[in-house]
Amino acid sequence: MSKQPVYEARGISKNYGNVIALDNVDFSVAAGEVVGLVGDNGAGKSTLVKALSGAHKPDAGALYLDGQPVEWNSPHDALERGIETLYQDSSLAPDLSVSANVFLGREEVVPGFWGKLGFLANKSMDARARQELEKVGIAVPSSSRSVAKLSGGQRQAVAIGRAVTWATKVIILDEPTNHLGARQSAEVLHVIKQAREKGLAVIFISHTLPHVLEVTDRIVVMRLGRVAVDAPTSTFTPDSLVKAITGFEVVAS
Amino acid sequence: MTSETKGMPLTLQSSPVRSGRNERLKEFATRQETLLFAVFALMVLVFSLVNPRYFSTAAFGNILQDFGPVMLMAIGQTLVILTGGIDLSVGALLGLSGVSAALAIRATTSSGMDPAMSIGIGIVAALAVGAFVGLVNGLLITRVKLAPFIATLATMGACMGTTLVITGGVQIAGAPKEVVLIGNTRFLEILTTPLVVVLVLLVIAWLSLSRTRFGRRTYAIGSNPFAARVAGINVNRHLMKVYVIAGLLAAVAGLFVYFRLGSGSPASGRGGELQSIAAAVIGGISLVGGVGRVTGTALGALITASVLSGLILIGIEPNAQQIVVGALIAFAVAVQGIGRHNSRA
Repeated sequence: MSKQPVYEARGISKNYGNVIALDNVDFSVAAGEVVGLVGDNGAGKSTLVKALSGAHKPDAGALYLDGQPVEWNSPHDALERGIETLYQDSSLAPDLSVSANVFLGREEVVPGFWGKLGFLANKSMDARARQELEKVGIAVPSSSRSVAKLSGGQRQAVAIGRAVTWATKVIILDEPTNHLGARQSAEVLHVIKQAREKGLAVIFISHTLPHVLEVTDRIVVMRLGRVAVDAPTSTFTPDSLVKAITGFEVVAS
Repeated sequence: MTSETKGMPLTLQSSPVRSGRNERLKEFATRQETLLFAVFALMVLVFSLVNPRYFSTAAFGNILQDFGPVMLMAIGQTLVILTGGIDLSVGALLGLSGVSAALAIRATTSSGMDPAMSIGIGIVAALAVGAFVGLVNGLLITRVKLAPFIATLATMGACMGTTLVITGGVQIAGAPKEVVLIGNTRFLEILTTPLVVVLVLLVIAWLSLSRTRFGRRTYAIGSNPFAARVAGINVNRHLMKVYVIAGLLAAVAGLFVYFRLGSGSPASGRGGELQSIAAAVIGGISLVGGVGRVTGTALGALITASVLSGLILIGIEPNAQQIVVGALIAFAVAVQGIGRHNSRA
């Protein structure tokens, strides 16, 4: 990794009572890089994600954004600094329209007096939502359609499109292809590649190893709260990745 | 739906755009508001056939007088239910704020204060009580983490008790004559000043829910509170606002009843929680949160009020009213459930 990391975690530890969830973990991701984060259940993936997204504070260790130490008190802090997280349980409000979801928490108001009263600029938000989603390969004929009326894959695409729209530095995707069919997964992977083109750092958490092997540049394998392997994706085979996850140390480089 | 999606780029269009006149007609005919209006018209017809006096401007004026307080409580109830909560305290709070106004006005006028000044103090007293109880509801829900059902059940009991303690269980009369004049002088045959206030508040509620950031976030929180939180919305602060507004509206409802009767009765507002929930769910507000419009609630409140006065006109005793309102709620929620199954199929 010759590239300077945009987001980095050093020496992260986290205990839940007597359980050591994370033990001195180092993790980094560079701009325009997709890093796969894999591991068995309980390996510490979600705990690491929570630390990176600002949902939990680690007991020890530090986070660095662009080389500067950062500390998050809430996911909102991380959000404001350009780190978008797509949570496993959907981050969308199903009863709201596509554009209302894209602009959730960032609603734009009309200029002048009515704007001061909080009146929404729906037309410009609809148009901008469509533009931004198209940039990452999601065509939206009607951004005023409610999300509940979309299919699972379309919903996930909107959620990722939303994250890509607002992220300026990092997007964290927790199991984005879960419960999706083959074609829909391919579409989601396509959006991830678009995010990389855009120069974002992407952290991709998944149990679906073929997806990880397809879309990532580097894979970090976690086991029992530690980083077991951290190597370029090209050095893995499907077999060696499974072995790395289950505990047979096969580092292919 | 998914099988229609063809490769990349991903397309969110699942069916051809429909904009034919028939489609629009169908959309209009199946809109909640259209159906509700049909129900309302049918009801007026039935009641009028049984008792022809029901169909007159005077009788409609009376229905509107019943509609006023129900509408006010139902606006607050709509906001609360849209966020996924429920407010059981609105009826009891109507009673408490009404008698608070009555006591303040009686005390100040008996000490020789100018009626206008005294009425002003009464209004402020009622609104302060409403805001305070709303604040307590909000704090119990966002800080103590009580379920809205339990929190507002507790404040409902507290409000009822306080009302009885401060009134001694008796009616508080002694209002200056201006009170009854303001509450009952009709213009355009059916309107009164308090009714105009109700209509203005209804328009404000409609605009804020459908057009503003406040409304958008109210729906978002009810639709998926987790999504709202991670999107950076301060969910707790928003819920506090919603419960305070519901409290204030219940206080305005208390004032409405006080101005109409010219006295504060500890019994008024009884069943108000039932009526406001009925208005909201008849109007299509989903009890799960995130779905429904306040225009629907307005028709729901009109139907609820018409049923209440219609029952009296066709000779059903007032004590049986709550049975009917309860049945209306059960029926409306059941119909909502059927509609949901169809649309998700």
